[in-house]
Amino acid sequence: MNSVGEACTELKREYDQCFNRWFAEKFLKGESGGDPCGQLFKRYQLCVQKAIKEKDIPIEGLEFMGPSKGKTENSS
Amino acid sequence: HPWETVTTAAMQKYPNPMNPSVVGVDVLDRHVDPSGKLHSHRLLSTEWGIPSIVKSLIGTCRTKTYIQEHSVVDPVKKTMELKSSNISFTNLVSVDERLVYKPHPHEPDKTILTQEAIISVKGVSLSSYLEGLMANTISSNANKGREALEWVINRLNAEIEEFTASARETMRNSMAAAAFVEK
Repeated sequence: MNSVGEACTELKREYDQCFNRWFAEKFLKGESGGDPCGQLFKRYQLCVQKAIKEKDIPIEGLEFMGPSKGKTENSS
Repeated sequence: HPWETVTTAAMQKYPNPMNPSVVGVDVLDRHVDPSGKLHSHRLLSTEWGIPSIVKSLIGTCRTKTYIQEHSVVDPVKKTMELKSSNISFTNLVSVDERLVYKPHPHEPDKTILTQEAIISVKGVSLSSYLEGLMANTISSNANKGREALEWVINRLNAEIEEFTASARETMRNSMAAAAFVEK
């Protein structure tokens, strides 16, 4: 499955693999002990946010949810 | 299927042959809230197979419809709730859907899905007017949704079997290689 940003598809795949494993093996079994995918997610996120801005997709309240958001770099 | 299986499949629902128009899925945000529930905000990109001549006239950025999906998974209460609404450049028609997956109260190996959809044209809800008309479409889409998850569950099971077989093969090969090196 591709990402909305073509350049992000590989990052997305890595993150998805990590997440799906954690979700099925840990989260659903009640062990929500830390999400090991944080780094992968951040890199993937930055790419996606850039793609969404570039494609002008009108998402409400987008990149501004969740405590895990760091500062986004301004795209040149 | 048990709730855990259905929920895992729902998180990996796309791609599947019953929803060929979904061409992209992205996670916009994901976090576990203080009560232990997992929230995910996802963006789904869909293409409706518009003929390429039309695409070349109106430009490809206008042929995609986007759906915003918010899901909440509660692993303690065993519920998964999905809310989605479409974002389109015309903002003429919007479809809001809500799905809830819960374990069957009497049969632990089954999951119950309740699904509702609200269709609005320019912000005016048409649920009463279009009820009869949409009922068939919605229930056939609901069937499609079930078939889609069934397909994903089968695929996941096949992947697990394949992975186990190839892991065994890899171990055998590396043990043979290690034995060779040691000589």
